[in-house]
Amino acid sequence: MSSILLSNEVIIFLFVQIILFILLTIAFYFSLSIIKNWDFNKTTNKQYKLEKTSYLVILIISFTLIVKIVLFPYFAYSLDNLSNIVPGAMCAAGIVGANKFGQINLALKILILFFIGVWLIINTLDLKAKTYPYTQKKYILYIFIFILSIIELFLDFSFLDNISTKEPVMCCSVIFGVNNTGSKIPFDLSITNLLIVFYLLYVLTTILSIQKSSFLNLIINFMFLYIGYYVVTYFFSTYIYQLPTHQCPFCMLQKEYYFIGYFIWGTLFLGTFFGVSSFILKTFINKDLAYTYKYSLIFNTLFILLCSFYVIKYYLINGVFL
Amino acid sequence: MIQIKNLNKIFYENTKKEFYALKDINLEIETSTCVILKGISGSGKSTLLSLIATMEKPTSGEIIIDDESVAKLPDLHSSNFRAKKLGFIFQSYNLFNELSAKENVSIPLIPVGFSQKEINEKVLKALEIANISHKKDELVSNLSGGEKQRCAIARAIVNNPDIILCDEPTANLDFDNSIKFIENLKELKKLNKTIIVATHDPIFDNLDFIDNVINIKNGIICE
Repeated sequence: MSSILLSNEVIIFLFVQIILFILLTIAFYFSLSIIKNWDFNKTTNKQYKLEKTSYLVILIISFTLIVKIVLFPYFAYSLDNLSNIVPGAMCAAGIVGANKFGQINLALKILILFFIGVWLIINTLDLKAKTYPYTQKKYILYIFIFILSIIELFLDFSFLDNISTKEPVMCCSVIFGVNNTGSKIPFDLSITNLLIVFYLLYVLTTILSIQKSSFLNLIINFMFLYIGYYVVTYFFSTYIYQLPTHQCPFCMLQKEYYFIGYFIWGTLFLGTFFGVSSFILKTFINKDLAYTYKYSLIFNTLFILLCSFYVIKYYLINGVFL
Repeated sequence: MIQIKNLNKIFYENTKKEFYALKDINLEIETSTCVILKGISGSGKSTLLSLIATMEKPTSGEIIIDDESVAKLPDLHSSNFRAKKLGFIFQSYNLFNELSAKENVSIPLIPVGFSQKEINEKVLKALEIANISHKKDELVSNLSGGEKQRCAIARAIVNNPDIILCDEPTANLDFDNSIKFIENLKELKKLNKTIIVATHDPIFDNLDFIDNVINIKNGIICE
């Protein structure tokens, strides 16, 4: 067995994941019956039983999914801690790149978080209504999340079991190194152009959030997330670390940077989530929720302010830009 | 109007102890009427009351109150429904002994979101209707059985409900207090409330303001 699997953080993480998976499996079993037999208009014994079962299943799913949300930052924290025992790794970047499963596992976790968010919104709407109008749809979405969770669990084991503590890995200085930026930034943009695109996209997300245009919001928010990732990694991170050669999306999760990475990535993800969810909810359950636009605007603005703060702070202290 | 259609309530379903508390109940209760549910202990009348009060879900069947199927209401909505439309008077009063009569009566109004001034006005009015306003600051533990029941009446009507449900309201009262309670019910009926009383007390026999007496035996309505 890999010594990674025996480290404290990984044992806790996998233990919680397995418990959550058992709960999700129980919920999955009952979800199938609810999807198949649900008819709110019926007053039969079977329907009343389904309503009671659904009440319990919703409780299990809600609890499990909320724990999964909390578990994600813990996963990032665990990866960061593993850098102490993996040669060559200085932060989570080295761990994520340690094998072929790392990147895809991380991407899948973010995707699952997104669907969990959508599920929780639909569930809240369903429970607030008098006739459970979204019950079947939310269970269908749950089954999709469950399937993703099976793949996630498989990837968790594949990823963590295949991290070697003997072979050195490449870390951020190599992966995101300044010499490589030319090929890494999308569309071969220069940093200046990347920044212009980034701020323009922010202005667009703001306008679209005010106009409540769900489809355009979806597209622009995805672009904002994509460009946001690069601009944080290749520009803002250098101001956070105060070192022009230090370009890493993960080091900012560490204690010496006051865990600011959790807030930066958290606000970007939440801003994008609410921006994108408005369209998904409109399509999936035909519901246009005004608060999704508002929260998207708030979190995107917080993200921009957080990122820009480091640049302004650096300039005010040193009188120059990096 | 309260309409009950094909209502069944089974306890311990699919076990050896399974029994029907209510079996295929069909019933209509007109608005502003007073109805007595009569039957011996265990006949199912309290179960029927708790189903009408949305405190329990039926095994099957439907309860429609003012065109709304209340048996199927989700918990959040059934709480709102109870807070706005129902008043419940229990056999054992279910009052908080550590609180005063006034504080007990104010409890149903707290989640509804009234201001303190509105709460005070409504509480005093309810206490007056129930003839217990003179004891408003007294702790419930210091009240007599009859006074506690009047306090319970005040609590049941403080939210101005359309329907008042009473479960064996005179079981713990002596004859004089039972008569006073009946007088209170009569007053409530004059206020156009729909009143349903589940009881096996013969004191309710042949009262002039009672519109209908429904006999229940082993969970079945007897003609």
